[in-house]
Amino acid sequence: MLNSVSGTKVIRFAAALTLVGALSACATPPSSDDADARAAYDEANDPFEPANRLVFSANVMVDQLVLQPVAVTYRDLFPNALKPPVENFITNLFQPLSFLHSLLQGDLDRAEQAAARFFTALPTLLLADTFPDRQPVFEDGGQTLAVWGFAEGPYVMLPLLGPSSVRDTVGTVGDFFADPVKIIAGSELSTGRSVGNVVVNRSKNIEQVRELQRTSLDYYAAVRSLYRQQRAAQIRNGISEPAHNAPTIGLDLDEPVPDDEKKETAATN
Amino acid sequence: MRTFAAFVLVVALAVSVPAAHAGSHTDASVNYINDLSNQAITTLSDKSISTEQRREEFRKLFRDGFAVNGIARFVAGRYWRSASEDERTEYLQLFEDVIVNTWADRFSQYSGQKFEVRGATDATPDKSPENVALVESLFFTDPTTPVRLEWRVASKGDLFKIVDVKLEGISMATTQRDEFNSVVSKNGRTLAALIEELRRRDGGS
Repeated sequence: MLNSVSGTKVIRFAAALTLVGALSACATPPSSDDADARAAYDEANDPFEPANRLVFSANVMVDQLVLQPVAVTYRDLFPNALKPPVENFITNLFQPLSFLHSLLQGDLDRAEQAAARFFTALPTLLLADTFPDRQPVFEDGGQTLAVWGFAEGPYVMLPLLGPSSVRDTVGTVGDFFADPVKIIAGSELSTGRSVGNVVVNRSKNIEQVRELQRTSLDYYAAVRSLYRQQRAAQIRNGISEPAHNAPTIGLDLDEPVPDDEKKETAATN
Repeated sequence: MRTFAAFVLVVALAVSVPAAHAGSHTDASVNYINDLSNQAITTLSDKSISTEQRREEFRKLFRDGFAVNGIARFVAGRYWRSASEDERTEYLQLFEDVIVNTWADRFSQYSGQKFEVRGATDATPDKSPENVALVESLFFTDPTTPVRLEWRVASKGDLFKIVDVKLEGISMATTQRDEFNSVVSKNGRTLAALIEELRRRDGGS
């Protein structure tokens, strides 16, 4: 078992790695005469990639040693009957922050939803889901900055906190200070909620993360892509992307081959 | 990350082209997804065949239901253009072996959750030779919180194929392309490098 001393060591090690990474490594942009390489570099938008990869491997290690075992324990040993109240409590405790950000984004409808969910759950000590037919509202600083028109900026892998971008990092720092739950009830409650949220989310993805690690050719790049797409979807509040943004994947390579050609292909296979 | 979950749990797909002329291409695409999912569910719940056979059947449905070659070309991105004809052929073959098997395995873990097609919107890009419909569906991993799945279906006459699946806004094709791009940009920046990597994967698993 991992005791708290070695846990601290892991964290210190992660911090040390970050520092080493940050000092030593920024990816060198490819020279401008290699157009393909330059385009790939710009598209990845990850100038800190070498440092990010180091932090990522430290994060993966912490995940394997600490987070995943805790999440598996929660999933398998925590009584199922008690999971909904715990998870409702966490969700409800995020609603004040979501309310604040919905207001900042000028989205009165979602602000009202967040407030309604929070206040109707108060009499149940925040343990109930008072709007089971509606998705809870999750808005944060990064999303508000995006709505205000700030670009996402380069990809950043934060120690322990995981994938982020420059914009989302600014948002996370802002939320740390602006969270109404922290201001009113103290940082124990807001920190407990956030840690609980990480454990609950992780407990729902045990197999999926394992599968992704097993099958991806580049796990780091897969996580980077998933993070960006997921944030973009959250910023759009789940509304589909406009059609012209979608990848164009044509049918021309998949039209049925005429019968005589098909026989030929079959013969060569 | 929670959304990626659904890749593993999800359904659907199959072979036969539905009678496509009834109504618009969006209606026909809804029918297509419904037909595919019914066939897939039938295949996956057929207890009379072995697990290995069932998987093989499912992969066949998957290959026929998706525009596998078009997706492969999209995923290769800029490296497709500079590749030779031989490289392209080998790449398409490997893509099918490695990626289709991975994706099909994720889909084949479906175990009877409720799946519901909600409707479709036209998403045909300007000047496209094909029609594109976005078929929206909900997938109930648990009864209260469905996962939003969008199927991008391209069609041309009687030919219907799925060109992308989006899970809570995350596109399988885009994710795969980003990952391949990263692999290739570290290894010589040609399709040959990707072929090498896929070959290793194909032999190894």
